[in-house]
Formats: sequence, C-alpha cells, structure tokens
Amino acid sequence: MKEKNYSPIDYVLLIPGIGFIVVFIASSIIITITQSFGLLSVTGKSQFTIENWKAIFHDKESLDSVLFSLKMGVLSSLGTLIFAFPLALFLRKSGPGKRFLGSLIKIPQFIPALVAAFLIINLISYHGIINEALLALGIIKEPLRMLNDKFGWGVVVIQIWKNTPFVLLILSGSLASIHDDIIDAARNLGAGSFSVLFRIFIPLSMPGILISMILMFIKAFGDFAITSVAGPIYPPSIALRMRNTATLFQEWDKAAVLGVIIILTTLLITWLYSRLAEFVVGEK
Amino acid sequence: MSRLVLKNIVKKFENVIAVDHVSLEVEEGEFVTLLGPSGCGKTTTLRTVAGFYQPDEGEIYFNDRLMNNIPPAKRNTAMCFQSYALFPHMNVWDNIAFGLKMRKVPTEEQKKRVAEVLQMMSLAGMEKRMPSQLSGGQQQRVALARAIVTQPDILLFDEPLSNLDAKLRVQVRVEIKEMQKRLGITSLYVTHDQDEALAISDRIVVMNQGHIEQVGDPETIYLHPATSFVAGFIGLANILNGKVIARDEQRVLLELPFGTLWAFGGNLCPNVGDMVKFSFRPENLVQYREGNMNKIVTTVVHAIFMGNAVDLFLDAQGVRLRARAQNTEKFKSGDTVVFTIDEKAFQFLE
Repeated sequence: MKEKNYSPIDYVLLIPGIGFIVVFIASSIIITITQSFGLLSVTGKSQFTIENWKAIFHDKESLDSVLFSLKMGVLSSLGTLIFAFPLALFLRKSGPGKRFLGSLIKIPQFIPALVAAFLIINLISYHGIINEALLALGIIKEPLRMLNDKFGWGVVVIQIWKNTPFVLLILSGSLASIHDDIIDAARNLGAGSFSVLFRIFIPLSMPGILISMILMFIKAFGDFAITSVAGPIYPPSIALRMRNTATLFQEWDKAAVLGVIIILTTLLITWLYSRLAEFVVGEK
Repeated sequence: MSRLVLKNIVKKFENVIAVDHVSLEVEEGEFVTLLGPSGCGKTTTLRTVAGFYQPDEGEIYFNDRLMNNIPPAKRNTAMCFQSYALFPHMNVWDNIAFGLKMRKVPTEEQKKRVAEVLQMMSLAGMEKRMPSQLSGGQQQRVALARAIVTQPDILLFDEPLSNLDAKLRVQVRVEIKEMQKRLGITSLYVTHDQDEALAISDRIVVMNQGHIEQVGDPETIYLHPATSFVAGFIGLANILNGKVIARDEQRVLLELPFGTLWAFGGNLCPNVGDMVKFSFRPENLVQYREGNMNKIVTTVVHAIFMGNAVDLFLDAQGVRLRARAQNTEKFKSGDTVVFTIDEKAFQFLE
C-alpha cells in the first residue's frame, strides 16, 4: 500500500478534535497533578514541594475519608450487583407485566443523585415511612438510625436505589447475549437452576458484571451529592473533604492531592478489575 | 435405553396449535426422524420430549414411566442443537464432562468416559481447545460427544447438521447413523431435509401443521406417499386429479386433460365415476416405445442440465409435468417428447 503523506493542513484540521481533548481534559488533569506538588498553583507561589502529600498522608481525618469512600465504593457496587443481577435474570425473558416492571425500574435513572437522596430520606429518616411503619407494626420499639448513620448504610441504600437501573441495563445486555440453547443444553445435561446460575449465567455474564462494578465503584467512590445529604457527620467522603479543603480552608493544593488520590484509586481499581476480567474470562 | 411413547400430545402457544394430537411410538434403539417444513411442529414435539415445554394435553412415556412432570434435568435425554450450544467459556474437555459432573460421576470415571468419547469422535488432542477455536464440523462432534457421554436413554437431535456445508453434512450424518447403531440409543431426529431423513432413519414421521401425515420406513414414505402433502414434500412429484372412467379387476382407466392412463389400483381400487388424486415421480416418466400401454405427449418448456441428469419441465395439454432424463440426452424448449408410465407407478392419495 502507498504511504500517505500528511500535509501541514491535515494536522491543522485535527485541531478542533485533539485541541478539545488537550485543553479541556488533559490540561485539567495535568494541572491537578502539578498543583498537588505545588506547581502551577492558583493560590500562593508556585514551587515544587511534596509537603501537601505528606500533610494529607499524616492527617488521620483525610485517611478516614479515603477509607470511608473506598468502603462506600465497594459496598455500593456489590449491593447494586446483588439487587440488579436477579432482576436482570428475571427480566431476561418476556412475561406478563415484565415490560411494565422493566419501565418502572428505569425511573431512578432519570432522577439526579441529589434529588434521589432527598426522596429516599423520606423513607429511611428517623421519622421516615419505614421507621413509622415498623413502629406501628410493633416490630421495633424505637426508630432505627438509617440516615446519617456512622457506618454509611444510608448512602449505600441510596446508591443502590439510584444505580440499580444503570447496572441492570449493562447486565441485561450481557444476559441477552447468552443463547437460549446454551441454557437448554445445560438443563438437558442435568443442570438444575443452581448449576445453571453458577456455571452458565454468572461466568458468561462476567464481563458485564465486572464493567458494571467498575463504573459503580467510580461513581460511589467519588460521590459528593449523596454523602453530603445522607452520609455520616464524620468522616466526610473524600470528594466532600476535597470541597471543604478547597473552599472552606482555601487549601487548593491539598485539595488537588485528594483529587489525584481519587483519580489514582479509580485507575487502580479499574486495572485490578480488568486483570480479574482477563483471569475470569480467560482471554485478553 | 428407553422406548418412547407419545400419546395425543397437544401443545399450544397462545392461540396457535403447534402440536395437534400427535401420537407416536419409538422402539428401543430405533432411529426415528420427524420431517416437515418449518412451523410443522417437529421441533416443538422434540422439545416437549426433552421437557423444555409442557404438553397442554397428552402423555409422554419413557418405557412405562410417565414423564410429563419430570424436569429436563432429570429425564436423562441428551440433545444435539442446531447451534451446537457448546458452552463458550469451557474447553472441549469441560464441555463433554459437563453432563457427568452434573450427575456427580466420580472423577476417575469421568476421565475414562470423556477419553473414550474423544477417541470415538476423533477429537483426541483437542481437549484444551475452546469452542471458538474449532471448525463447524468439530463443534458438531463435540456436541455429539457431550450428548453420548452421559449414556442417555434417548438422544434428541434438533436439525444438528443444518449449519454444516453440504459435503460435511453427508459425512456427519453417516457418522451419526453409525454411532447410533453401535451404541443402540433410541433416537428422535428433527430435520426439514428430506434427503437427510431418507438416509439416516429407520422410520420417518412426516409432519404438517402440527399433525402427523404419515409414518413409515424411508422406502414406504418415498414410494408410497399416503397424502398429497407427503408426495409433494418428499422428493419431486407430479400430483394430478383425474376421473375414473373404467376399471377391470385391479386397474382403473383415468381420464386426464392430455388423454387416458391405466393405473394399478390394488386393493384400494376406486370406483368408476370417482374423482381421484394421485401422484407419480418424475423418474417414472420414461421414453415411450411402441406397445407401451400409457402414452403421454408433451412439449418441453425448460430442460435444465443437473450434472447427473436432465430435469425436464413439460407441458401436456396445459398440465405441467416434471420428468428426469439421462444426462446424455439433449433437449431444447419446444421439443415434443412422448413418455410412458408404468401402471404401478401411480400412488393414489387421500
């Protein structure tokens, strides 16, 4: 094949596309990273330092926030999976009422996270619907603390509510790609429901499971809106702490360190999941 | 091994009757084919035997055991699918061993039995391959191996060869037949391919619109079709209507637009004045010689060279006929050709 020679004009024509990526995406990430080392600082003078990193790593409160957000990321992604996978299996085959149910389940996807948080508050707050109902039925003696609880269950519940439709969408795609004949073949060869689930459905939808876990983790780990409404008083999520550090304490460079930690953690988790996917699916 | 008995099976999907009062017995070790066009209910019947569908009416027996409420996993049938349905995330070995694992066969015996079928299916050395790394023919052999390794009571085949190319199809069908004879497993086979059905079956069940048209061995089905559907579906047939205008002991004289023909009626000989429907095969039309009883004068409409024969589309006084001639003969459109037909070549249809 003939080598194509690119003229300078060809490169100029690429500017609208590549320029956008460089200016708005790459530059912002690079500036966050340099700021965390004191370079290109928006506040104070620009000078290379690792003091910001040291300060964050020696600050127990920051580490608590990182751990809290990690916990929220893992629990929310697992929780959503546990909810969405059986639903996706149930909705895999059409049946009476399933279309309606399928549409109903999609609603939370159209509700912004902050609004979702306030909606769920009505359900799980100290004097919310669930507590009042349980009290009225005599199941509990005093209301359960499900909101702003120290552990963060309130956040996990809202994350699951908000993101089940999204994960359902990914899992449904994965499950739809499994041919009915394969399920029938397994049943024909003596597999009961349990074996079909663990030997056919789960392994064959593993790529979908892993990708939805990654995306859910990234959402929940970096979450600001839901934890700010339903999270514990202490520790704040890492995103919440980043905002406080930057705007309340005016320590933009330290906030940049937290930002870099969020980015690096999500990258690391994504890498780990993709290695896991290679291992499980058995191919690159 | 089991004897399979279907009694008055009815299966409906919403308002469509897919299987309409089908009754059938398949003897131990017998190879029976359900043959028919798409939508005739053959696959539904097969899947009902496998347990994937519950019949709305009727009973299924393996030997004397009523199977209606037994789940597919407990029926000890093994099915070969059109799509092969190999588990894409398991290698050849794990695919074949799947049924044994499900039956909790001890590991040592699993190894022995899988190795045996690998040998039998000429798959030795491919244990570690993934299904995506196999050709269509190899995948089909893995699917077969996976089915027979469980020593099923009944083998079920759902158009297993339709994704293979023509040459391989002929080869694999011979392999299936040989394997089935050697193992003596009762088999129910579904196909829409009449050649395949004729080649592979002990008996053929021709189905149409959910019901059985005719059951018989391949010779009977081909040479003595009972209905015009069977005559038209199996091979090529000239299906005509005529009036009986005379008869002697066992023969009738039929009146047709292009003349009269003597036909052997056997014991079912129709009466004078009856309108009858009958068929004969293209190859039954042979060149007329002086002294032949029946004479049909035709004009060639098309002559198509098929390699091993010449396929003739003929016109006899407005009646369209098909004939086969030897490939050494030359025909062109508009030629007049005179044929005769043996009186015993006629099949009277219901």
